[in-house]
Amino acid sequence: MGAGTQGFCALGARARLKDMLVTDTPATAVDATLRALLADVLGLGEARAAALTADSGLFGELPEFDSMAVATVLTEMEDRLGILIDDDEVDGEIFETYGNLLAFSVRKVAG
Amino acid sequence: MGEYQLRIGPAGNSRATILFVPPLFEEANRTRRTLVLAIRALAAKGFAALLPDLPGQNESPVPLVEADLTRWRAALAEVAHGIDGPLIVASLRGGALIDHEAEAAAWWRLAPASGASLLRTLLRARVSADREAGIASSLDSLQAEAASAPLLLAGNLLSPTMIAELAAAEAQPVEPLRSVALGAEGIAGTPLWLRAEPGEDTGMAQAIAADIAAWSRSCGII
Repeated sequence: MGAGTQGFCALGARARLKDMLVTDTPATAVDATLRALLADVLGLGEARAAALTADSGLFGELPEFDSMAVATVLTEMEDRLGILIDDDEVDGEIFETYGNLLAFSVRKVAG
Repeated sequence: MGEYQLRIGPAGNSRATILFVPPLFEEANRTRRTLVLAIRALAAKGFAALLPDLPGQNESPVPLVEADLTRWRAALAEVAHGIDGPLIVASLRGGALIDHEAEAAAWWRLAPASGASLLRTLLRARVSADREAGIASSLDSLQAEAASAPLLLAGNLLSPTMIAELAAAEAQPVEPLRSVALGAEGIAGTPLWLRAEPGEDTGMAQAIAADIAAWSRSCGII
């Protein structure tokens, strides 16, 4: 357990999307990043996160998904996908279903 | 300074003291239980560990609106000053923004967060809650409002100084520093600070304690 003896300033690194794009298609990488992120914020567990389909409801459907969770998801999307999200891009629709959130993210990553 | 401090140490002499700087705002509540488990694990390894309340946080008598990052940095420096023997400052997330004025033998940071990103999440929670209440607000309109009056963000009443300091705050260079992230290369565990509902992670608490103990050894602190 732990990382053993380390030199000064050893930096841990989370797999960034940019590294994943080398081997994965962008949509697959975004999908994996998004599922992991929802599992982290909503405490879904791997199985529930993996079981999300395009039609799975999010805001209003999952009890954990409150306004603070929406805010946390948006900031984490920016960090992990390397994108910037403006207020006016965020409407109720993108959090309606997992499919909508994924489509929005893939569009943003493609620029 | 009249703030509550949680301190757990070994029965006899301690090897060194670990001063924990908790994450800020709601993230502190989400991680507190696991942090205290890490503190108990450190005590079992012979370290004393301290988790002080920041003015305006947890059980502090100070109203949050009177706190800002400058005051938090000074408060931590004062706590550090009162500790005898070797000291390691260990901070999580936003705690890394306020840990550099404490005098220590070494620093340890887990998943340091920028002030701008913490502030963005708080502002967004307000925008989202406003929208549900039928009020139109935006990150820009709220930040403009915050220039002259305190702003209530996700239950936290923050002063204009606090908001301006958060917007610009980055973790400052300190030495020697071990900065770790979550994951295979760092601490195995879950980002409980993001979690919508409270949780705990015993494995992560053990990993934090083991990593700090190893870092302490590699710095020659024992």
